[in-house]
Amino acid sequence: MSLATRYRCPTCGADVSVAVTPELLREAAEKGAVRMLARCPRGHAAVLTIDQYGQIRSALPVHEQVRPDCEVTDKAPMSVRARLAVILEKGPVTDADALLLEKAKAAGWVICV
Amino acid sequence: MFIDNWGMFLLMREFMEILGGSKGLKLFMQYERFKLAAAVRAALECGVDCRKPPNDLVSLLFSIARHKGLLKEGCQVVNVPEPKAPPPQAVEEYFQLVDDVVIDKMCEFAAKQPSDVIPEEEAAAYYQALMSAPFYIAFRKAIYDKLAKLYKYPTILDVGAGTQDPLDILDVCETRGARCELTALEVDQRLCADLERLAAKYGFNVACGWGRLGRYDIAVVQNVLHWATDPLQVLTGARRHAGRLFISQGVVEGAGVGFVLIKALGANRPLSWREAEALAKQAGWRLARRYAKYPDYLALFK
Repeated sequence: MSLATRYRCPTCGADVSVAVTPELLREAAEKGAVRMLARCPRGHAAVLTIDQYGQIRSALPVHEQVRPDCEVTDKAPMSVRARLAVILEKGPVTDADALLLEKAKAAGWVICV
Repeated sequence: MFIDNWGMFLLMREFMEILGGSKGLKLFMQYERFKLAAAVRAALECGVDCRKPPNDLVSLLFSIARHKGLLKEGCQVVNVPEPKAPPPQAVEEYFQLVDDVVIDKMCEFAAKQPSDVIPEEEAAAYYQALMSAPFYIAFRKAIYDKLAKLYKYPTILDVGAGTQDPLDILDVCETRGARCELTALEVDQRLCADLERLAAKYGFNVACGWGRLGRYDIAVVQNVLHWATDPLQVLTGARRHAGRLFISQGVVEGAGVGFVLIKALGANRPLSWREAEALAKQAGWRLARRYAKYPDYLALFK
């Protein structure tokens, strides 16, 4: 059975209720704490840190202005994941990067929405 | 690994530096050996008989491993311990590529043809990742700058250019304050399309096929011969259009698991340094200077 707990939205101050599942509590008990993403009714996202008792230790705002529209998929081989992640984060710095990104998209290693 | 002509490596300061000096080079070689043994072990664990390799790729793997003394009679694999230190940072991605393309897929290679294991689009992406890896760029630039001295030649023909080579050559010329007029020759139509886009930005010429070439001071054939279906035709073509030829070719005597990697991406048979030199002579070239026999055959012809 899920446990309901509350936090204050760090962006707008709204009082928000979230459900903490037994799986999350178990994970928190194993790791000391667990993080989850939640949204207030106004749509502001926050990263919550939850302890093993279901208490919210912190709620930090998520700045979504730089939300990436592409992501590295599970299909991408480990060898190029780090390089592709940097290219997606910073943009292709060189033409070689741009070509790699293009080929990675064609191979299904990167998907863009 | 046997290295002929240590002087070559002393000349290639940038490449050595990126590997972390001679210690880095030693570590690189240890990892090459470790990964090669791991690939052989993976093939045997997938039920391959070392006396009857199922295809060219596995056959190449076994022949390299035998040459390195890693695969013994009765299909015994020499135990190569994993080096304690991590690989030099510059080649970390390369060894991960070996894991992804060779070792992790070995059971598939044991059962299918390489072209059926890695789809074309993935092979193209792997190829681009490999060509643009920092260690490989440093390696090529060191060759072009310190050995081939390409900046001295006003007109250069880059044979089988691929997408990264022309940028490296132009970078060497620019660093040396030279103005090199570069023509990148490529016969692969998809690479050609990429090259044309790069050419518009960087100001070099592209020839898609041998048909529309002029006359050049030097032709560069850098790790092309093992991709070509007819290596002699490549060298004969270069002879028709250039006054000098610089060959840089990874050869089978020094081949490691990297050769299996590119075989998986569609390369043909690796050559020995003697074969590479004999082919150049057969194409009408005269050896002017041989810098190294292996692991890379590096030579200037006139």
